[in-house]
Amino acid sequence: MGTIAPTVVVVDNSPTVKKLFQRSIKDLGVELKIFDSAAESWDYLENNQPDLLFLSIILPDKNGLSLLRDLRKLDLHQNTSVIMVSSKDYAQDKLDADELGVVDFIAKPMPIQVITDAVIKYTLKSESE
Amino acid sequence: MSNNYLHFWGVRGSYAAPFETHLRVGGNTSCVEITSDEHTLVCDAGTGIIPLGNELIKRKTRELLVILTHYHWDHVCGLPFFVPAFMTDWKISIFGPGNDRHDIEKHVSAQMKAPYFPVGTESWLARINYIGPEQEILRHGAMKITHKNVHHPGATYGYRVSLNGKTIIYISDNECKFIEKSVSKQRSELNHEEQTLYDDMVREEHQSELELIRNADILIHDAQYTTTDYNRKRGWGHSCYIDTVNMAIDAGVKTLYLYHHDPNYDDAAIDQIHQHALQIISERNSGMECHVAREGMRVDL
Repeated sequence: MGTIAPTVVVVDNSPTVKKLFQRSIKDLGVELKIFDSAAESWDYLENNQPDLLFLSIILPDKNGLSLLRDLRKLDLHQNTSVIMVSSKDYAQDKLDADELGVVDFIAKPMPIQVITDAVIKYTLKSESE
Repeated sequence: MSNNYLHFWGVRGSYAAPFETHLRVGGNTSCVEITSDEHTLVCDAGTGIIPLGNELIKRKTRELLVILTHYHWDHVCGLPFFVPAFMTDWKISIFGPGNDRHDIEKHVSAQMKAPYFPVGTESWLARINYIGPEQEILRHGAMKITHKNVHHPGATYGYRVSLNGKTIIYISDNECKFIEKSVSKQRSELNHEEQTLYDDMVREEHQSELELIRNADILIHDAQYTTTDYNRKRGWGHSCYIDTVNMAIDAGVKTLYLYHHDPNYDDAAIDQIHQHALQIISERNSGMECHVAREGMRVDL
């Protein structure tokens, strides 16, 4: 009672991805915030560190890895747990993501359970530890 | 009288193909010039930019804008031999993917370092102006240039150039319909709910791919592989020409140039691709024009 729900942020402009995440976390008691663009997410992320951040790569206004590069320059996000979620799972993108310290790279399409498991692994598990 | 045209200086993907059997299409890698009166825009700097540079120094203009889709070799490897960069009276602006202008400079300079090249970009005598991403819309004379991220390894842009009411779209490297193929391949691993969601996602992605090229007067697009080669090289970041043609028809493109030809395909193989593309267009009752981009080809705008 009284504990603050972990925050999960998703940056992806796809309405289907929005539904997918809402479905994936519905029983987990986490707060989900979804932003459609890098610019919209920046307004929030500039001052807030989520417990877990999911980033797509092809965003309407920016490459998701470029957004992550900008975020990592902020003290607030040097250690933020980030998972890339993209159909663009080329070796070069995975290498860039690794260099930016992501905890995982999930290729679309992924089963709903993969998202649920990732949220449990990187937010709820650390809460209970 | 206006002087607006587009000129293909390099049409190959991956690596240069200066083979006797390939010369009707051309062997140089990606480079397209768009000139509007005294303003010249250069799309990519593959080996095609070398003969372009030799031509440019004969003209009066001493200023140009280079837009790079990305930094893979076939798109930048002409820069170390681009003569205007080594001349004091030139001003060259360069734009491409990167977090800031220093990032772009770093990527452009990386190939000109020992032991891979004897001199660095510090040996360039022209005034080089790297343009950072904060400039979302570029203007060069009458041309307005915007960009979007496309489906290819690493940060890669596709460009939309507006000129005198015409839209020219340059997407050299892009793997069309990637998510559709991924969903189809993994369908058996997804439950009914997931299949429904991903069918929606495929429709969304399809719409977004169409928006990228919607109503282009001229579309220059990756058409690198035949079906057989695409099946072997899926995930390499290039399109099967059949997908390119179908996407272009669906998006209402007026004229399509098949581009970024595979260096393994000789003139006869590319003729076959073209014939099949024309057949698809005819079978779909489309009025779209479709050409093979050939080195030396000039299109009046």
